Amino acid sequence: MLPIDAAAHSSRWRRRHPVDKAVLGLGLTVLAVSLPPWPGAALVLVTALAVLLGPAGVPAGRLWRAYRVPLGFCVTGALTLLVRVGGPGGFVSWAEGGPLRAGEVLLRTSAASLGVLLFAFTTPMSDLLPRLVRAGVPAPLVDVALVTYRMSFLLLDSVRRVRRAQAARLGHTTRAATWRSLGGLGATAFVRSFDRAARLQSGLAGRGYDGTLRVLVPEARVSVRFTALSVALLAALAALTLVLERPLS
Amino acid sequence: MHIAEGFLPPAHAVAWGVASAPFVVHGARSLIRDVREHPESTLLLGASGAFTFVLSALKLPSVTGSCSHPTGTGLGAILFRPPVMAVLGTITLLFQALLLAHGGLTTLGANVFSMAVVGPWAGYGTYRLLRRYDVPLMVAVFFGAFVADLSTYCVTSVQLALAFPDPGSGFPGALGKFGSVFAVTQIPLAVSEGLLTVLVMRMLVQSSKGELTRLGVLVASAAGRRAANPAETADSAEAVTR
Repeated sequence: MLPIDAAAHSSRWRRRHPVDKAVLGLGLTVLAVSLPPWPGAALVLVTALAVLLGPAGVPAGRLWRAYRVPLGFCVTGALTLLVRVGGPGGFVSWAEGGPLRAGEVLLRTSAASLGVLLFAFTTPMSDLLPRLVRAGVPAPLVDVALVTYRMSFLLLDSVRRVRRAQAARLGHTTRAATWRSLGGLGATAFVRSFDRAARLQSGLAGRGYDGTLRVLVPEARVSVRFTALSVALLAALAALTLVLERPLS
Repeated sequence: MHIAEGFLPPAHAVAWGVASAPFVVHGARSLIRDVREHPESTLLLGASGAFTFVLSALKLPSVTGSCSHPTGTGLGAILFRPPVMAVLGTITLLFQALLLAHGGLTTLGANVFSMAVVGPWAGYGTYRLLRRYDVPLMVAVFFGAFVADLSTYCVTSVQLALAFPDPGSGFPGALGKFGSVFAVTQIPLAVSEGLLTVLVMRMLVQSSKGELTRLGVLVASAAGRRAANPAETADSAEAVTR
């Protein structure tokens, strides 16, 4: 299982309905993207971090390991905003207001990422996907996504074991051997995924498979109190941004 | 190369979502039709999605010394065709956003457009064009995967340049900036992905003729002939691919 999904399964908010967590987490992301970066995204960032480490109980180490991935892209992308091409300063020169633009983008991206991470760290995919049918997503698409999700872990596990076996047979000692091993790994993943699909098909056919994958979804109800508090928090953040923005700017 | 969560301004995020929607809807409709006619294809399509997800998680040794991940769109398009890849790519990108924090939900439309629409179509188009002119199979596979990866990176650079035009030279300057910053890793990565895809395809031609025939990559009769005569090498499959 992947670290974020594993954390979601043992989250304090695991039993909450995905809609509760979507309103809060994805609401924070929408605010981060749509409000002015200063002070809007900064407020969202602090709030999301406080909720993640506080009530949601996400361990700081796990959060950092997931958070540094989007941060790497953002820093690389923001670096390009520091310079300008052409103009009186030469072919490439420092852009006027570049650090401000880069800072704003970094702030917005960091805050928006934390909103999605709040949702991802508290909502397992297995809780989310079956409920998409009720949200209007066609059932065959959800079934394909469900099979993809469940088979991905088995395949990732197979790939890890094949990689270990290749390493034990000195398959990674030279560059040429590494490439050969990688090719074998990709081909093995393909063969195993199709083999698993065929075996799953035989097993399901024996149980009267009619094209619909029925899975048990943990019982959960949308909490009116939690959702109302989330909406109030989002509204307060938006109002505070509008109040603070004027005197600061 | 995924655009991170919140990196694009809201108007751009929505616009790229709208641009991707027709391709995803078209792919979804054909997938739903296929599943309704053949219920067992759900499992095969799910397996294909899992394969795409796992392929994108493989670590490639990069020229710059670090490790990078292939997009998997070139091989996916050659095996499963671009319309199916639009849907499988969208599912994969959604999983990457929520399970790996790669990409994002607000930038899903932009990432789908580059990785699940343009990449597969460009790669598949190159592959088919080269095969039409009797270019050897593995050369066509290499360029298909290379073009799919490179076009994904080019479209991402265009998306970023449109969102953040250069203060001095506007869109062209920004395109040059984003293009050159990401080229350091993306051009070697495109070459690496092309090589990896050739290695995978060579092994698949040797070991999975049945599946490749079912997917339409190999022609049934010729595949059967080769299966009956295992002495024939993978290179001989060049003459029988579509």
